[in-house]
Amino acid sequence: MQASRARLFKEYKEVQREKTADPDIQLACDDSNIFKWTALIKGPSETPYEGGVFQLAFAVPEQYPLQPPQVRFLTKIFHPNVHFKTGEICLDILKNAWSPAWTLQSVCRAIIALMAHPEPDSPLNCDSGNLLRSGDIRGFQSMAKMYTRLAAMPKKG
Amino acid sequence: MSKRVLCKFFAHGACLKGEHCEFSHDWKDPPHNICTYYQKGLCAYGSRCRYEHVKAARSHSSASSSSTNARQSLVSDIVPLGNSTRSVFGGLTPVPGSPMELSASSRPFIPPTKPAWNQEYGHHDSLDDWDIGEASSIRPSDRPICSFAAAGNCPRGEKCPHLHGDLCPTCGKHCLHPFRPEEREEHLKSCEKKQKHLEALKHSQEIECSVCLERVLSKPTAAERKFGLLSECDHPFCISCIRNWRSSSPTSGMDVNSALRACPICRKLSYFVIPSVIWYSSKEEKQEIVDSYKAKLKSIDCKHFDFGNGNCPFGSSCFYKHKVKPGSYTWRHHRPPPRRPPPRRSGFVDDLFDMFNSIEELTASETALDPMEELTSLEMALLLRDLILDTSDSSSDEEDFYSP
Repeated sequence: MQASRARLFKEYKEVQREKTADPDIQLACDDSNIFKWTALIKGPSETPYEGGVFQLAFAVPEQYPLQPPQVRFLTKIFHPNVHFKTGEICLDILKNAWSPAWTLQSVCRAIIALMAHPEPDSPLNCDSGNLLRSGDIRGFQSMAKMYTRLAAMPKKG
Repeated sequence: MSKRVLCKFFAHGACLKGEHCEFSHDWKDPPHNICTYYQKGLCAYGSRCRYEHVKAARSHSSASSSSTNARQSLVSDIVPLGNSTRSVFGGLTPVPGSPMELSASSRPFIPPTKPAWNQEYGHHDSLDDWDIGEASSIRPSDRPICSFAAAGNCPRGEKCPHLHGDLCPTCGKHCLHPFRPEEREEHLKSCEKKQKHLEALKHSQEIECSVCLERVLSKPTAAERKFGLLSECDHPFCISCIRNWRSSSPTSGMDVNSALRACPICRKLSYFVIPSVIWYSSKEEKQEIVDSYKAKLKSIDCKHFDFGNGNCPFGSSCFYKHKVKPGSYTWRHHRPPPRRPPPRRSGFVDDLFDMFNSIEELTASETALDPMEELTSLEMALLLRDLILDTSDSSSDEEDFYSP
């Protein structure tokens, strides 16, 4: 408990110090609970998510960093490894490949990488996975782009 | 106020009690300079004692001359003088008004503006001569070296009556005894080692653990201020962090070997963790740490093996000493006893060689199923249960076992 708090506090300070270090990630801690974090990540360029800003919610367990944080998308996203309804993410480093050397910041980076490189063979969103697996890249991209525009971009006008 | 004794803190220039001190703050009062240990019969400092070694209780009448007292107070903490000096020197009992006393009292009184040891030492040539005179009568190797010089700086410099040691090139102090070659050698060796350790410690100071993100050597408790070295890679962690990680229960499908036993950074598999207070800067240094750690463990009796009465899961690969006591199970049967079910504990750990574990189980099961074995059906049942338990939970409490 104490260890996780100390570690999160360290990460918090690091985030405050290097706010501008990674322009694609904005991490923020809940004002009253250091175990709750939110992040805003920019969709990687040259992907259908480009131009979108996606919100992530982190729930950090008390055993952190021995156990991975639970991360989910708050912004709707059409991606084979993200559950369309709950925002749950299927990513090995958040499950069995977790390592205590990962930080919340690096988890964000991993999620950005996942957005750029979907894994259609272990889908949480079957529709999206099937489009990719059947080779319908165009179909997948237009669906993903549409949802990015609908959910992850500021409404114009 | 003749009964009052000069405050020794005052004489040094710093008495915190000031006005309320029960000792005199008047330079004219005599200092209490008699060694109480000598009075009781034994003073460990012997001739080096800064206090007077006189047998009889000091009579105040002998210290009636005020100028003598003042002089004594100035130098009392450096050179044993006054009564004792003379009694040793000439075998005389102190007589007020003796020639020496007269010569001493003829010197002008210097107000103690500086600490006594910074006063002119020229005054005490006769006493210093005595010091040397006594010292030269014994062998040079028996003479102690000046402790001021050995500690770094002797305020008396060239004029010091004591033997000044030679300069140690490592620590920069004059602490090498010129006539004791063994002591010199020893000092040089230990000094070099210390220096090396200090330097390594300095390098280690900045190193951060990748799990808690803190500097390992800035942790609050001494037990935490240790590195946990992984045998197969060079990534630094706190011993507590890496052990916690390796012993954390593999929930949510984490694989023991690919996740927990691996380095959190490079995922290289290491079978054991080596505690160390310093971080290494070269392969050789690491090897040295590992070797000394293993050597230390090898001197400790394995508690699993229990002098031949227990079954150590690590068998011949165990880091601990396997000493077979005559009369033990292994001694009588030439093989370890069958394994008992491990005590159920939360947070089971098997830090090292899981790999060996399975090999050991294999051999254990072979011996257990040996038809020559005299096993009751109950023992057999227990054994089988063990085997099932072991395969489902291949851990032991090796981790605690490793804590020094």
